[in-house]
Amino acid sequence: MFGYYLRLALASFRRNPGLTALMIMAIALGIAVCLITLTGYRAAANNPIPHKNDVLFAPAIDSWDPDQPYDKQKPWRQPDLLTYRDAAALVATDIPDRKVVMYKVADVISREDGAMEPETIIVRATTRDFFAMFETPFLYGGGWDEKADQGPEPVIVLSKETNEKAFKGANSVGKSVRWHDRDFRVIGVLADWQPAPKYFDVSNGAFEDPEEAYIPFAFGRQFEMGAAGNTNCWKTETIDSFERFTQSECIWQEVWVELRTADKVRAYREFLDNYVTAQKKLGRFPRPLNNALYNVEGWLKFNDVVGDDRKAMVLLAFAFLAVCLINTVGLLLAKFLNAAPAAGVRRALGASRRDIFLQHLVEAGVISVAGGIAGALLGVAGLWALRSWYTKVIEEFGRVLPFEAGSLILAIVISLVAGVLAGMYPAWRIGRAAPASYLKAQ
Amino acid sequence: MEIRPIFSALLRNSAGAILVSLQIAITLAIVVNAVFLVKQRVDTVSRPTGMDENNMFSVRLTGFGKDFNFESMVREDMVMLRRIPGVIAATPTPQVPLSGSGSSTQFFSQPNEKGNKEPVAYYGADEQGVETLGITLASGKPFAAEDIEYREKDSPALPKSGKVIVTKSFASKLFPNENALGKTIYDNLSQPVTIVGVIDHMQGSWLGWNKVDHVMLQPQVGPGPSTQYIIRAAPGQIDRVMSDVEVALKKAFTNRVVGKFHKFADMKQRSYASDTMIVVILGVVTALVVIFSALGIFGLATFNVNTRIRQIGTRRAIGARRLDIVRYFLVENWIVTSAGVAVGCILALIGGYVLSTHYGVDRLDLYFLVGGVAGLWVVGQLAAWQPSHKAAQVSPAMATRNV
Repeated sequence: MFGYYLRLALASFRRNPGLTALMIMAIALGIAVCLITLTGYRAAANNPIPHKNDVLFAPAIDSWDPDQPYDKQKPWRQPDLLTYRDAAALVATDIPDRKVVMYKVADVISREDGAMEPETIIVRATTRDFFAMFETPFLYGGGWDEKADQGPEPVIVLSKETNEKAFKGANSVGKSVRWHDRDFRVIGVLADWQPAPKYFDVSNGAFEDPEEAYIPFAFGRQFEMGAAGNTNCWKTETIDSFERFTQSECIWQEVWVELRTADKVRAYREFLDNYVTAQKKLGRFPRPLNNALYNVEGWLKFNDVVGDDRKAMVLLAFAFLAVCLINTVGLLLAKFLNAAPAAGVRRALGASRRDIFLQHLVEAGVISVAGGIAGALLGVAGLWALRSWYTKVIEEFGRVLPFEAGSLILAIVISLVAGVLAGMYPAWRIGRAAPASYLKAQ
Repeated sequence: MEIRPIFSALLRNSAGAILVSLQIAITLAIVVNAVFLVKQRVDTVSRPTGMDENNMFSVRLTGFGKDFNFESMVREDMVMLRRIPGVIAATPTPQVPLSGSGSSTQFFSQPNEKGNKEPVAYYGADEQGVETLGITLASGKPFAAEDIEYREKDSPALPKSGKVIVTKSFASKLFPNENALGKTIYDNLSQPVTIVGVIDHMQGSWLGWNKVDHVMLQPQVGPGPSTQYIIRAAPGQIDRVMSDVEVALKKAFTNRVVGKFHKFADMKQRSYASDTMIVVILGVVTALVVIFSALGIFGLATFNVNTRIRQIGTRRAIGARRLDIVRYFLVENWIVTSAGVAVGCILALIGGYVLSTHYGVDRLDLYFLVGGVAGLWVVGQLAAWQPSHKAAQVSPAMATRNV
């Protein structure tokens, strides 16, 4: 029966090719716009490390100005960075299974033998757990140990790209590079790694490239290097040396902890509260006690990585899809009613109401499938156009609008459901029509 | 007018009319809010920078090695750069306007953190700073060569000359209704500086900041070992000048890294990339949704005409003029459109309210709603124009035929 209905549908399309094309186009455009906005939304709402969502935490404490909150629009928000002394204190505990303190620095990398063009690179000064906590894939070698952190020993982990530039991609473990006019021994090389959003450093840009190399955190202080990322200060204080900068109320450091059990989470929360309360007694933390421990998803939400624009766009896209569908319902209704006499003849020859309903529902279904496929193609073409236009402007744009099967499948499912829903009423209407009234006039 | 019969005809076959009304309602809600959003973005993107941004570019240089001398590098580079044909002016600066990265601090109109207080983004520049940026001074004059201080190390001290140049909008916040030229202002450590120049208008580093036009130039170069150069080329010569500068900079010293070159126009485009994308997507959606609504109206009117050929013939046969037929269908369409517009106003207001409370959009300006209503009425009548006139062509003889 389905094959017969399909043939009827195709015959009907041939009778009104213009109208059929219009309906397919309406659904296609609605789906395409939804696909594009959904892709942007899903890319930003992505959790790059879902399996560790509930064990990785970013602690936040409110060390800001007593006179005004860090974010005037959202006064409950803690600052998204930490002062140097607080960052150091928050990792000076054995509660977490793993812990990391870090910030970004920048300087020139070169090779003693001149085998590479000297280049300024962004380096993450961090502690040994970084690689295991954030599951960085290694091409060669690995991270460093506690001794290297304490030394600090001049070891460096290169990104794949930096290793290409410095060693043409060869296994460089054990070789040395110059950075900040010091020799560093390569201890590991990362494979391709580009978490998006860059959840562990949202403050410096949720879609930025990962750093080009990693060195032990303690070098930051030894070299007296300020942050190559955001630094925010609120307090009136004379900062005339790096030492005083590390003791200041300026925020520029990031801490993450891995807490594998609920008990440890509880213990770490308590630890945070105790720390801030003790600091309050020393005259710091003038704002009300407002400590938080954000898991990955919570941290992304706290930093509003998705952003209002993307949400509003999805809302508008679905309103647009609704218009497209209502348009299709109207056109289908007109088309079916025009063809009512044929349905009348089929009824008179013994077809049941259900048969007529199903026949027209198949016709609507074919249109929606065609619209869904055309919409998916249009959407991918639109994404491609937006991407190629914008990657010229912003290098990391591919991460903001990636191609991904999830949105595509979602769009096609939406089109099918929507198309069948759109066909429901017109098919029901035509199925109810009394055959006699149409036969009379023939 | 024959409103009553039109109504009864509509009610007898209401499904199509309801669908079109609903479509118009949602269309109005989308169009009004989308156009409002687009207008705001376009306004933001088209703000003037105050600079000659189409002819400017910047590059970062970072020195390394033991025998590197920051001040002599900058001085020699500047002499060399300013000799390159097509270079109008050049200045070293630690931060670059429009780049998205910069430094800000706050100043007070009186010492000891008293008086008016305003945040400001600050930039180091040498004696060619004003000319390089292409900004106009409303009063005062650019820095002189002897004002410029070269620094090896970072320090909270303000420039030794004690001079700064600031934008008018920043100065007017510190000294409302007063001429700021010659006034002294204080940082939060009460260090005094004197305003020696007032810039008409200039944007700083963060185009998303609501005080983007609060800018201060300080007669200072450094601290090393890293700095940026801003170079202004003669109109139309930026590409050639940029490649000449790159060759010259790479040849001049070996113990420094010459970074990527950035055109100011590109940085501006980059800062506004998401705004531009929103404008593009919303613009396309708005155009499509209006076209679909017009097609829906057109389709409904055509359907109504086709199913009423006999009725039209009968009306013509008993004396209705062509104009009466056209008017009948236009009025019918106007009723359908108006019903949609009425519901659409409510939807648009709800949409605007949701966007403003949940999605950080400004409150919907009601003029946009008025414009949207008027626009959809016009679109509705235009879409019904052809079917109505087709109906008027129906011959009175049709009344006698079976259709």
